[in-house]
Amino acid sequence: MQDTTPKDIGQLSFGLMEPEEYREMSATKIITADTYDDDGFPIDMGLMDPRLGVIDPGLECKTCGKHSGSCNGHFGHIELAAPVIHVGFTKLIRRLLRGTCRECSRLLLTEDERDEFRDQLDESRKLSRDLNDVTKAAIRQARKKDRCPFCGEIQYDIDHEKPTTYYEVQQVLTSEYSQRIAGAMQGDEEAGVERTTPDELAEKTEIELTRVNEILSGSFRPRESQRKAIEKALDIDLTEEDTNKLMPSDIRDWFENIPDEDIEVLGINPERSRPEWMILTVLPVPPVTARPSITLDNGQRSEDDLTHKLVDIIRINQRFMENREAGAPQLIIEDLWELLQYHVTTFMDNEISGTPPARHRSGRPLKTLSQRLKGKEGRFRGSLSGKRVNFSARTVISPDPTLSLNEVGVPDRVAKEMTQTMNVTERNLEDARRFVSNGPEAHPGANYVRRPDGRRLKVTEKNCEQLAEKVEAGWEVNRHMIDGDIVIFNRQPSLHRMSIMAHEVVVMPYKTFRLNTVVCPPYNADFDGDEMNMHALQNEEARAEARVLMRVQEQMLSPRFGENIIGAIQDHISGMYLLTHDNPRFNETQALDLLRATRIDELPDPSGVDDEGKPFWTGYDVFSELLPDDLNLEFTGTVGDEVVIEDGQLLQGTIAEDEVGEFGGEIVDTITKVYGNTRARIFVNEVSTLAMRAIMHFGFSIGIDDETIPGEAQERIDETLEDANDRVEELIEAYERNELESLPGRTIDETLEMKIMQTLSRARDNAGNIADDHFEDDNPAVVMANSGARGSMLNLTQMAGAVGQQAVRGERINRGYEDRTLSHYEPNDLSAEAHGFVENSYTSGLTPREFFFHAMGGREGLVDTAVRTSKSGYLQRRLINALSELETQYDGTVRDTSDTIVQFEFGEDGTSPVKVSSGEENNIDVDQIASRVLDSEFESEAEKQEFLGSRPRPTNLSEHADDRLAEGTEVTSDD
Amino acid sequence: MVDVSQHELVPEHTVLEEDTLEEVLSEYNIDRTDLPKIKRNDPALPDEAEVGDVIKIVRDSRTTDQAVVYRLVVE
Repeated sequence: MQDTTPKDIGQLSFGLMEPEEYREMSATKIITADTYDDDGFPIDMGLMDPRLGVIDPGLECKTCGKHSGSCNGHFGHIELAAPVIHVGFTKLIRRLLRGTCRECSRLLLTEDERDEFRDQLDESRKLSRDLNDVTKAAIRQARKKDRCPFCGEIQYDIDHEKPTTYYEVQQVLTSEYSQRIAGAMQGDEEAGVERTTPDELAEKTEIELTRVNEILSGSFRPRESQRKAIEKALDIDLTEEDTNKLMPSDIRDWFENIPDEDIEVLGINPERSRPEWMILTVLPVPPVTARPSITLDNGQRSEDDLTHKLVDIIRINQRFMENREAGAPQLIIEDLWELLQYHVTTFMDNEISGTPPARHRSGRPLKTLSQRLKGKEGRFRGSLSGKRVNFSARTVISPDPTLSLNEVGVPDRVAKEMTQTMNVTERNLEDARRFVSNGPEAHPGANYVRRPDGRRLKVTEKNCEQLAEKVEAGWEVNRHMIDGDIVIFNRQPSLHRMSIMAHEVVVMPYKTFRLNTVVCPPYNADFDGDEMNMHALQNEEARAEARVLMRVQEQMLSPRFGENIIGAIQDHISGMYLLTHDNPRFNETQALDLLRATRIDELPDPSGVDDEGKPFWTGYDVFSELLPDDLNLEFTGTVGDEVVIEDGQLLQGTIAEDEVGEFGGEIVDTITKVYGNTRARIFVNEVSTLAMRAIMHFGFSIGIDDETIPGEAQERIDETLEDANDRVEELIEAYERNELESLPGRTIDETLEMKIMQTLSRARDNAGNIADDHFEDDNPAVVMANSGARGSMLNLTQMAGAVGQQAVRGERINRGYEDRTLSHYEPNDLSAEAHGFVENSYTSGLTPREFFFHAMGGREGLVDTAVRTSKSGYLQRRLINALSELETQYDGTVRDTSDTIVQFEFGEDGTSPVKVSSGEENNIDVDQIASRVLDSEFESEAEKQEFLGSRPRPTNLSEHADDRLAEGTEVTSDD
Repeated sequence: MVDVSQHELVPEHTVLEEDTLEEVLSEYNIDRTDLPKIKRNDPALPDEAEVGDVIKIVRDSRTTDQAVVYRLVVE
């Protein structure tokens, strides 16, 4: 346990491994493909050689002497009978083959060119650009050379047949040269080419006539210069391609001769890597710990995929050697060589296109080295970036309006399983003993204790009493989770920082996590079966950080738009609207009942006295009780009226979505920014409970009768739709008579479509307006739409008036059969009905054809959302990966890990969107701030208020502590 | 030809003097290669800018009125 001290990584370097290095680090050479003998012992120099490490508990490692668990395992090696290509480097090998001389192995660039590329490489390195651009350009230039600038050797094309075969393509004299020459000498009368006599040919090519005759008879193969001359004279091609396979051993010899200076230009550091090491002569064998075998229930051993692959490699390797020693024909040797190459290739990557994947006996493709690392479940994304963790819980969520927004209801069975480590001191000794004596079954109990000597004891029902007496200061007790503990709560997908927030625990019966409905917006949670995760924090530092930075009330303002993301939702808004819209009156009992779940337990002076002489309070009075005493606000509210708050009293206006809602409710936003998060938390909690009481007081329900309209209204709607249909018919007739004038930039067909769409959408709106006229203002659907709680007037129109035009891709429905949407219509019927106009409302019910069109429109919506989520998810992943290393430094700059500056000042202005309000609509109200600062300056002693406007904020440490502290400070009842 | 540098949406680009450049580099404690880059053929650059120069860009900002950014000219 000495090697657990953290160490700094100074530098990482990547390179190739030398074969000799493989041999040096190898614990043993592996020569037999067998793993265990008949008695079940590993065979020496086999794939499970005990020197490669231990996996069975209790055994000792033959190399390092450690036991399983502490021994990391040791590599072995296989001496390959013939060199094979490493699949990971096939591209680089191809590049080197193309860029270097086939004879002297030097880079096909003159010294000057080479130096220039080296300079470019240095510059790119300094500017941290992509080095590949330079090396690629160097190879491109080298490939242009036909001859080696050093030895003058002619260079040939290199063909690469994926994955691991390379050919040299030479242009050689075809065997039919005499026929071709003779054919060309015949000439072609149609093409106007004249005959050529041998004399003329000899003259043109400056070859002796006898030679020409010899060539024509096929008894002399023309030399290269002669061939070219003949080709030129007769305008023919006398060559054919001859491909010559490059064996791995040839390539290795080739690469060995590449000088160090030439490799540097290609971005390879010759001190660390030599190109010939890309051709394997020795294969490292991973330690057994990297490929453990599993003992099945029936005692049979099942080997890892890697072991299976290694067995294949060793078998072929041995057959290769035996055949070669026996002097087998070249053909057989080459076949075996290819087989060996295949096995080594698939050992490293089993998903190469063009090669059949190696399969298990069951037909399942083997999971080899590359497959272990790649992809979402691979080593990087699956095991290193993301892991499974302890101290976490997951269950269904359900709402509980009695909780504070900071709290989370935790099922008792979770609280008993997930423990908090408690360091016992003299001051908490008594508590610790009580926890231990309760045992693991009773609720505020303990599961384990750790003595100062480090021994961990399980608390059981039997030993808990005795153990409790032994607990002393210095012990550690793993106690159950209790009310007030801080935990981290999360709902996937975690798209923004408010998806993970800290909550205070309230232990509760039953099996679900309970949360206040006002925290649904930041988590984007609902209760239709959503599950959430909880993580218990395990040290004081984490707990303190979570409390101060991550608690829900600290996340009240969203950095996305700088306004509150937490606020009243749905029924809260309907409730507030009912309470404040017509400013209803309440008697004392009712008023007290509305405020019963808040801190207010005394009512202010009544607003007046009713006819019977009893005092009454208005909705404004009740709501004003929740506001800070000195709050002043004036703005245009949801309903369109002016909302006026003076000295913490609501004087005018309706409280609804834009006042107290999520996503930027003015009052919540202002309280958060001016009075702090704690005050805002209290306000939101109280608004939600008051609203719930209010909505229960008035009663709020919706049914089918709320969306039905009187017969005469229905008649008027029918008339409007009839009208619209007539107008559409007129348009169609005009179109058919060719009298329709096209709109600028549109064809006549498009014009018709647009006009029909316009007519129909106007008809839908008219129908909606007629329906709306018949709804009272207290209609629940209207209340919800007006207050912004849920739904819109459009929804109401569709329920009561007409559903309207269905659209796919923004057009009327235009698909299905040839020239018509359904077989119920004539071909080329352009009427509204035939293209998906739904005349009925949801209440009156859709006809089958309307229903079908409606489903077409609805399907598009569903597909869109499905496509959008996956697209935006991938986009977000890439964005986060690109930005994750950027960090704001103490000097205000934003830099990446290599300290290059990305922004000279965070966001160009160095401000946090949460701390500053910006934007056109809500400019900073300087006057109000100044007057507030001055007020506080004169009110109290000048020394005390040294910093202007530094109102002492209540602690944000714990809601439990807050409530006690808050009584003393500013958070008191309004009177 | 349109001169984009005259467009109202293109902020002011000026070549930084060598001694002011030293101040900037020491203020942020960086080499000039650590600066963000701008291509020589960027149409917003003044004509006298050469590869290796550092450009000062002054942008209008909603919150700070003016935001200053430096960029290294690369080829």
